[in-house]
Amino acid sequence: MDEFASLSRRGLIGAGLGLGAGLLLPDSVLAASKPRRGGHIRVASLSSSTADTLDPAKGALSTDYVRHYMVYSGLTQMGGDLIARPALAERIVSDDQTVWHVRLRKGVTFHDGASLTAQDVVWSLLRHKDPAVGSKLATIAEQFAEVKAAGKQDVVIRLTGPNADLPAILAQSHFLILRAGTRDFRTANGTGPYMVTQFRPGVRTLVRRNPNYWKPGKAWLDEIELIGIPDEVSRVNALLSGDVQLVIAVNPRSAKRVMASRGHGLLETPSSLYTNLIMRQDQLPTGNPHFVAAMKYLTDRPLIKRALYRGYATIANDQPIPPFHPYYRADLPQTSLDLDKARWHLQRAGLTGVRLPVYASPAADGSVDMASILQEYGSRVGLNLAVNRVPADGYWSTHWMKHPLGFGNTNPRPTADLLFSLFYKSDAAWNESGWKNPRFDRLLLEARGEADQGRRKQLYGEMQGLVRAHCGVGIPVFISLIDGYDRRLKGLRPVSLGGLMGYQFAEHVWWEG
Amino acid sequence: MIAVSLQKAKALPLSGKIGLMLVIFWLAIALFGPMLAPYPVGAFVAYDVFDGYSAAHWLGSDYLGRDVLSRLLSGARYTVGLAAAAAMLASATGTALALTAAVGGPRVDEPLSRFMDMLISIPSKIFSLVLVAAFGSSLPLLLLIAAITYVPGNYRIARALAVNLVQMDYVQVAKARGEGRFHIAIAEVLPNMIHPLLADFGLRFVFIVLLLSGLSFLGLGVQPPDADLGSLVRENISGLGEGALAILAPAVAIATLTVGVNLLIDALPGRGKGR
Amino acid sequence: MAGAATFSGMKAALILIGKRFASSLLTLLLVSMTIFVIAQLLPGDAAQEALGQSATAEQVAALRHEMGLDRPAPVRYASWLSGMVSGDPGQSLVANMPVAEVISSRLPNSLLLAALTALIAVPAALAIGIGSAMNRGGRIDRALNITTLSMVAVPEFLVATIAVLLFSVELRWLPSIALVSDEMSWGEYLRGVAMPILTLSVVVIAQMARMTRAAVIDQMDRPYVEMAVLKGVAPVQVVLKHIMPNAIAPIVNAMALSLSYLLGGAVIVETIFNYPGLASLMVNAVTSRDMPLLQACAMIFCAAYLILMLIADVTAILANPRLRAQ
Repeated sequence: MDEFASLSRRGLIGAGLGLGAGLLLPDSVLAASKPRRGGHIRVASLSSSTADTLDPAKGALSTDYVRHYMVYSGLTQMGGDLIARPALAERIVSDDQTVWHVRLRKGVTFHDGASLTAQDVVWSLLRHKDPAVGSKLATIAEQFAEVKAAGKQDVVIRLTGPNADLPAILAQSHFLILRAGTRDFRTANGTGPYMVTQFRPGVRTLVRRNPNYWKPGKAWLDEIELIGIPDEVSRVNALLSGDVQLVIAVNPRSAKRVMASRGHGLLETPSSLYTNLIMRQDQLPTGNPHFVAAMKYLTDRPLIKRALYRGYATIANDQPIPPFHPYYRADLPQTSLDLDKARWHLQRAGLTGVRLPVYASPAADGSVDMASILQEYGSRVGLNLAVNRVPADGYWSTHWMKHPLGFGNTNPRPTADLLFSLFYKSDAAWNESGWKNPRFDRLLLEARGEADQGRRKQLYGEMQGLVRAHCGVGIPVFISLIDGYDRRLKGLRPVSLGGLMGYQFAEHVWWEG
Repeated sequence: MIAVSLQKAKALPLSGKIGLMLVIFWLAIALFGPMLAPYPVGAFVAYDVFDGYSAAHWLGSDYLGRDVLSRLLSGARYTVGLAAAAAMLASATGTALALTAAVGGPRVDEPLSRFMDMLISIPSKIFSLVLVAAFGSSLPLLLLIAAITYVPGNYRIARALAVNLVQMDYVQVAKARGEGRFHIAIAEVLPNMIHPLLADFGLRFVFIVLLLSGLSFLGLGVQPPDADLGSLVRENISGLGEGALAILAPAVAIATLTVGVNLLIDALPGRGKGR
Repeated sequence: MAGAATFSGMKAALILIGKRFASSLLTLLLVSMTIFVIAQLLPGDAAQEALGQSATAEQVAALRHEMGLDRPAPVRYASWLSGMVSGDPGQSLVANMPVAEVISSRLPNSLLLAALTALIAVPAALAIGIGSAMNRGGRIDRALNITTLSMVAVPEFLVATIAVLLFSVELRWLPSIALVSDEMSWGEYLRGVAMPILTLSVVVIAQMARMTRAAVIDQMDRPYVEMAVLKGVAPVQVVLKHIMPNAIAPIVNAMALSLSYLLGGAVIVETIFNYPGLASLMVNAVTSRDMPLLQACAMIFCAAYLILMLIADVTAILANPRLRAQ
């Protein structure tokens, strides 16, 4: 077990470069085990509340994503190699990256027996533009200039501008396909591998296998019960006591306990999830480049990786593309802890001895401890940071990006373009540090419409350099996602977009009990 | 003065002496603990997390590799200070209002009791959650929350005692003598309810210690890198499975503190005998 | 004589119940106003929380209108209140179903948990409290004292976590999470909630037992008890006939308080054992700013508390002739 963990960690994190995370499989998967039908499992996700929903457009949390991928299918689907492949779409093509032609798979039926038609797809995509729907991806759906049916099995999507990433965008759980005209979300009518038998917001979701699933042979399990256990210690205890067979988000501090249990294993997924320091560029003193440089030199990345994440993390370099990403730029020098340089920059900024509040919250995973670490090193170079821990409730609306010095937390996104457009573009709503770089904005637009992979990698590489050198965001590490599972559950492998195989485990796993 | 106190202490039963020693011990830690701490409270001094005993770290290291002993010594003052202040505030307010209600008659009693009902029927942890979300976490707010939470409980108990006592013959006699309400409350009623109220104070102190740790479970509490005893237990809870000192030490600290306070209060000489 | 006493006791109790009913309505109104006001202090509203950070201003405005949040605060409160008076607690803003439906799936769970815990905790606390008071200073008293003290001295979440590690992870006797569903048999249900009950009992037994002991001992020093003992009345008789009627008021009060904790205060136990009760629902309502749901939870907790207090006061009146004049 220890070998498995260290092997996969070395393999996945060390090698990185150009290799998709999913290409390296843990030995437990390689050990031959043929999928078989039957069995039911209970899965514990992070949270569960009255806001739980079966409407994919409203999906807000991992539990929602898991639930939606269980019952719905998308036009495309993302694999462990971060490449979007056709799913409900038989093919999805474009000559100019602006007008996309989608040919639908034949013979796909909804849970109620109705056949999938172009109308369903048009309706499912266009509803995101209706403010009353409250779609989480409304801003992304704005680029759908027109979505129309061209016959029963064909859909044409015209974008407002070229975007080579459309297939990846459509693979997100929010864009999963509904039956046209669906308004009642107390139960679900999808084309996915499982059908809802009971849905109780805040309590549980019960699904059973869809015998008419369009993927031949799949899915394997008879029944899945999805619950939420918000308290991490309780979640791990539930796994170890056999009450659940799969849990998302195991704290690295609990990893030792899970690995010590003979019947349980850990699935480590290196991801591009990060918790970052925000230094507002439009406020003082954080807008001073010397201050930003000082903070980057004050960050003890190996300590954060070791103490906070017990090794389940990848050292980052103040830019958001992780080493295992196809577009990662490897030749940027790594910034590391250097108290002398930090002190020098701090003196140049004229901030020695100044008391500065830094806002952290359990809402941004690890930020309170990261702030404590910064405070500790700050005190050694004459910077007096006062950690202000605020409750998770209301953090994003009242504190995030509102203070000169604070923390944010960014989930993995399916494409580099989405990540950069949402968080780093000058006019982005979530431009956390408020930096403005026209060159960056131009490169972003160019890369989006570029179909040539080599050229794209070059453009994204330059953008990584710009963010690292000039942006007021400090990214110490990329946090690995850890799921815990009962060893009788087979077929799990990492998909770096999220835990539980990028939330899509349901159709891939089988039970060998 | 000191001689008298010493004499009183000697007169305590054994359990009371143990209680007194524990209370004095924790008061001393609260006052001098930060000075005795071998490391700064937020310093990352150990390479490993959840270490056991070592010469450098008597109580091992915590979940981030910080020195548990230092964190304990620095954190005790928050728990002791906050709980003591809040318990006193709650008991004094609650008892004063209860006496007012008991001797003041229905016109005072009714509105006061309804107000207390209102305060107490809002679950305290949820109340705290809302207030901290609205105003941000700070020591005065925590003190206020803890005090407000426990005023009604004290009020209910003190009022029940006082109403009962007001019916007593000797109080009726005092009324007949023409004593004022204030006099009756302070001289006749209060002395006869001191013992149950002291027991109540002890319990309230303990409850506040536990409320604070309950709040730390919900992520509310003293600002890092400092931590009260409850937060120390909470933040190291993942070490429980491995029996880490980092969680045992603060748990034992809470236990000895609360047990000490209760033992002492139980052993205090009771009220004056009824007349 | 005895008949007359019972009659006057009943009459006093009925009068009290009548008066309490009126004042309870006042208390409920006060609570609803307080909840409404402090909830207004919270940053953000249900529309923002539901849509999250990614929402456009247009979306927020549309949802606000749909939820009726674009009306001024007093209007919203008045419409909620008028709905409540006519028996309709409104529509949950987040769950998209009537509040009554959301509550009805959780309330039975909370009541059952509280009732089962009370069933164990109240007799246990009375036995421990009276037992140690009668044995004051003796070995049993000291042993019980140390037991209750240590029970009270450990944070609830630690009790729960230790219990899980011991009974679920190590011994595998009981489930670590309280999964309850309609299809369950009583046996399965009891197994499921055994650990939450255990944890809650530990918390409230100690508290109630200590108050009982204090109240009984307080009475034991009084002359009328000494007289009874001198007359040669058996100790059990002294406790039941002479002490309890006088000690009952503070005891039932303390018990009612502790029991009201079992509903609203169970939030930590509900979280750790993942038990779908009302307290975690209320926390949920706070974080999602779901006002109608929050209000409904607050009303239930308040009503439960008032009923418990009424039971306590009625018991006290029936037990103590002196209080009937009140």
